[in-house]
Amino acid sequence: MDRSLTAYEEIVGTPVIEQLRQIGDRLRGVRVVHVNSTKEGGGVAEILWWMVPLMQDLGLDAHWKVIKGTNDFFSITKSIHNGLQGNSVVLTKKDWESYVDVNIQNLSTLKELLEEADIVVIHDPQPAPLLQLCPNRRGKWIWRLHIDISCPFRPLWKTLRTFGEKYDASIFSIPQFAQFLPHPQFIIAPSIDPLSEKNMELDQREIEKVREEVKLDPDRPIIVQISRFDRFKDPVGVIQAYRLVRKVIPVQLVLAGGGATDDPEGHAFLEEVMEAAEDDPDIHVLSLPPDVHKTVNALQRMADIVIQKSTREGFGLTVTEGLWKGKPVIGGDVGGIKLQVVNHYTGFLVNTPEGAAHRIRFLLHHQARMQEMGRMAKEYVRQNFLLTRHLRDYLLLILCLMRKTSEYRIFV
Amino acid sequence: MSGLPAAVNLRELRDRIASCSHDVLYHHFCETTLVPSFDYPDYRDDFAVWAKKQLGDDVLAERLGMIDPYSYYSLEELRAAALEVIDEHLSELPMIPWARRGHEFHFMEATTVIFDTGKRITHPDQLISAVKSMTQGSIYFHFLEARRRTLHRNDDFSVWLQDWGDEWLRYIMAMKRIDFAFNTLAELRDEIVGVLEGKEKNLWIAH
Repeated sequence: MDRSLTAYEEIVGTPVIEQLRQIGDRLRGVRVVHVNSTKEGGGVAEILWWMVPLMQDLGLDAHWKVIKGTNDFFSITKSIHNGLQGNSVVLTKKDWESYVDVNIQNLSTLKELLEEADIVVIHDPQPAPLLQLCPNRRGKWIWRLHIDISCPFRPLWKTLRTFGEKYDASIFSIPQFAQFLPHPQFIIAPSIDPLSEKNMELDQREIEKVREEVKLDPDRPIIVQISRFDRFKDPVGVIQAYRLVRKVIPVQLVLAGGGATDDPEGHAFLEEVMEAAEDDPDIHVLSLPPDVHKTVNALQRMADIVIQKSTREGFGLTVTEGLWKGKPVIGGDVGGIKLQVVNHYTGFLVNTPEGAAHRIRFLLHHQARMQEMGRMAKEYVRQNFLLTRHLRDYLLLILCLMRKTSEYRIFV
Repeated sequence: MSGLPAAVNLRELRDRIASCSHDVLYHHFCETTLVPSFDYPDYRDDFAVWAKKQLGDDVLAERLGMIDPYSYYSLEELRAAALEVIDEHLSELPMIPWARRGHEFHFMEATTVIFDTGKRITHPDQLISAVKSMTQGSIYFHFLEARRRTLHRNDDFSVWLQDWGDEWLRYIMAMKRIDFAFNTLAELRDEIVGVLEGKEKNLWIAH
């Protein structure tokens, strides 16, 4: 990304940008290293694509490193991911050893940078062992867990926790996700970039072009779920909801998403979704490459309703994206979606395909209400869930950690 | 996070409020307005919101919601008032209300980072444009958080205006009358600006 913070001034206002620059001045030259396991696909990579350049724009010496892994490693970390979200998964001693081994292999290229950094932010479980592999670290290390670990599979969490305990702080998206760890825990909600290709304003012609490519009928309502093909996103449940709605309203359904390089289960699950769609010409299952952001943007903008019927969810940036485009969102009553979707204000929370179908029908029959909800949704995103707020929270956290104080007020 | 275990029912909430630090208490009574939210809650303190939404206890929510945290001279007094409301309510209830799993009350505390923005105004006439261009965080700090640190529980703007003579007194009084319990920070900024602009209009009429 080559945009500077100034580009956001029109959207968030001059005072917000000035404030960021003032905080940045106090952190000038601080070396911050983010580490995760994928360069593209998924919310974490999307956040780092903008966060690192904007930290640099503010004068910080920010870096982003991606650990490399084998297929086995990503199968193991996917199991860890599933276990943290509550599935009962069993990892053998050998699996845990392989997990650490891959981190050791990555160390040769990372060690110097990590040990010299003032702040290291380790995103999610994949690179978590790096801390114990850097005994000469001089900075503060933060473990940033993006996923819903409110009810983890305890045996798995018990082992994983040993990798996280020595961090100086951890960050969760919402309080419900926080697990007991012997260091300060901070809450920072994620955000979206309003000027990225995925969220920028689009010309109507571009939207129509995508509509034609996907062969969607402009005269009938469209329901869209954008997400990776992952069981926890429940696309099969969305198809069930669509079928219930179809009995009375001729809606069209788009299920679109790509894979992340650290998610080896995506392809197999996509086939399950295709099978559930049963060649219905009004169900459009689109497996998209990770860089077609404008297509995703257009699909969300042409949608009448955005849906995110997850059964587990970290934060659910696709919900934020939908709200930013002025669409009411029907979301699963889980994780960060609960923070974003408020019944009758910005959409509806549901627990079942039947519930989703009920709310889709309600909204399609109340167009004026739908528009009002969309207007309100966009304004709330503007105030709370754009990248400027997210960046500010990170900068303030860094300031707090570098001050080494437990005072409730810090003067800088 | 505060390190306190989450409360799953009203009894646990009561016990945690009785033992939590001042920062936790302050955060949940006064800093709700700073927390990112899509919601437009009925109440501006977290305990009342939780009682209504998660315990389904409207009576308790109404009583907790009417506690004005800024009217107490110490956080111990505020704690005592909250406990009095909850204890009285508990004595009326046949059963302790519980929250569903995943809807527990999580105790948090916040660290305030304060820095000099470098901006200065030299006369009250400049206050309107200064307030208009402030971030919401600055509005919170100067209008709400100020009440925690000033002797007479006043906002910073009023304290500053007091030094500019009697002609500003009426606007200080008008700011005192702002009922900020239901305002978002953006709305609060508009209301402060309205009060200050009202001064200009009145002067114009008086002339």
